[in-house]
Amino acid sequence: MRALCWNGVNDLRVETVADPEIINPNDVILKVRLSTTCGSDLHLIDGLIPTMKAGDVLGHEFMGEVVDVGRGVMKVKKGDRVVVPSFIACGNCWYCAHDLYSLCDTTHPKPELQEPLLGYPTAGIYAYSHAFGGYAGSHAEYIRVPFADTDCFVVPDGVSDETALFISDAAPTGFMGADFCNIQRGDVVAVWGCGGVGLMAQQGAMILGAERVIAIDRYPERLAQAAAFGATTLDYTKVDVIDALKELTGGRGPDACIDAVGMEAGGTGLQQAYDRVKQALYLETDRGTALREAMLAVRKGGTLSILGVYGLMDKFPLGLLMNKGVTVRTAQQHGQAYVPRLLEHAQRGELTPAALATHRFSLEDSPRGYHMFKHKEDGCVRAVFAP
Amino acid sequence: MNAPAAQAALDASARAGVTIGRPAEELRTLWLQPDTQSRIWAHFANVTASGDGAADWVAHGPAGGEYRWQTQTDASAADALRWTSLDGADVANAGSLRFRPAPGDRGTELHLDIRFDPPGGIVGEAAVKLFRIVPREIVLTALYRFRALALTGEIPTTDHQPAARNGGTDR
Repeated sequence: MRALCWNGVNDLRVETVADPEIINPNDVILKVRLSTTCGSDLHLIDGLIPTMKAGDVLGHEFMGEVVDVGRGVMKVKKGDRVVVPSFIACGNCWYCAHDLYSLCDTTHPKPELQEPLLGYPTAGIYAYSHAFGGYAGSHAEYIRVPFADTDCFVVPDGVSDETALFISDAAPTGFMGADFCNIQRGDVVAVWGCGGVGLMAQQGAMILGAERVIAIDRYPERLAQAAAFGATTLDYTKVDVIDALKELTGGRGPDACIDAVGMEAGGTGLQQAYDRVKQALYLETDRGTALREAMLAVRKGGTLSILGVYGLMDKFPLGLLMNKGVTVRTAQQHGQAYVPRLLEHAQRGELTPAALATHRFSLEDSPRGYHMFKHKEDGCVRAVFAP
Repeated sequence: MNAPAAQAALDASARAGVTIGRPAEELRTLWLQPDTQSRIWAHFANVTASGDGAADWVAHGPAGGEYRWQTQTDASAADALRWTSLDGADVANAGSLRFRPAPGDRGTELHLDIRFDPPGGIVGEAAVKLFRIVPREIVLTALYRFRALALTGEIPTTDHQPAARNGGTDR
């Protein structure tokens, strides 16, 4: 089959690889219908995350049709149109039983690579380096999905492929970030970042009853998407965000602040190796700036919800959180806990993730899609690939 | 990367623990199944176990060396399994797996201890070559594999999946 492969820093090529096969009893094979870029892929492409191997198939946000089923699969069947969260969860361990699916105890095939970094291995994820499991990704004609009965969700009639696509990752990640905020009547929620995850966090906060949602970014087309579903927008290049948030909240500050920025915020073109190091340091400084701003802005006793992907930040003003009594919630997405209700919200038109799909490409043209996505050309929020 | 070998030369014993949400008796039965041993130690050695507690181990060192030993498991204790290598082992070793109830709804704690005892009291060349990966890593990986097998009936793998290398498949 054809697949988009990572062959080295900033070297993406569509190549012919073997078709995936059923390996374990609970696997299914999906024919990928749609697969999309994610900001977190840019860390891999730019070489900021180690343990990629030349030839890895990229892509972790996808939906498709079941074409082959392992002998242990009971619920999912051939022909089902399904969406799959990016973290692989077994549904049997203590973490899955407590809805902490991205922390699943059993799906990481190479725990010895990750345990030294994090203390304990997390769930495996598709196409996010071998330290995170090394599973082949979805920018391909077919993909193997383990634990199908836990991880495949049938897309109901009335929900389009493009809507379902983002219920794989952007929507559950964003919604989880809003859920972390324990939103009460009258709450104001500020969200840094209007990429796919940020926009979904904003809609999530509205669904969960926020009085007002404030969206912070610099790209007009992204701010326009936030404004279209009712968020108040702030362009951080034009206003002092802290002052503006105080103004908008009568001096109280937002009840909850969501960081949906992460490393990808400062992603720029690839340079020489030395420049990459400087770029990495710049990114760290940049993302620190966004997070610190959220920490400063949040009201006393408020909630800071962190969705941006971070590495190891060594300068973190903990005193801001301690002295203000801030609750911090963070996680990689526990998608399996949210997908069913998100499909219902989408069916009722309350959640509109398809708007993220600003640009479509064939799989063969996917390197151009990544280039456009990375450089935010032509207002690209997400590039979608149809194999 | 000589550090792991050097560490192994200094410390050829390892211990690790995992908690598995299943009753001890069920885990004990699964551990003793011959097929289980070959599956959970696959990263380290080919294990051929027979039903009577005996097992043949063949480990391959990074430089191509092959190391063999036999073990016999003692399952007489209620709360532990113990095994030891028999005379003639290339790398003498002994291990134990203890079962303890975990608090609350968490199931059973498994504590695995293995000592790779060098012949003559010092770590032999064979052991150093064998332990290019640190012993704790060997033990912990086996426990993680066992946990996956106990909870899901399968061991996670990415072998034989698509990749643009090795002729199109990861191995």
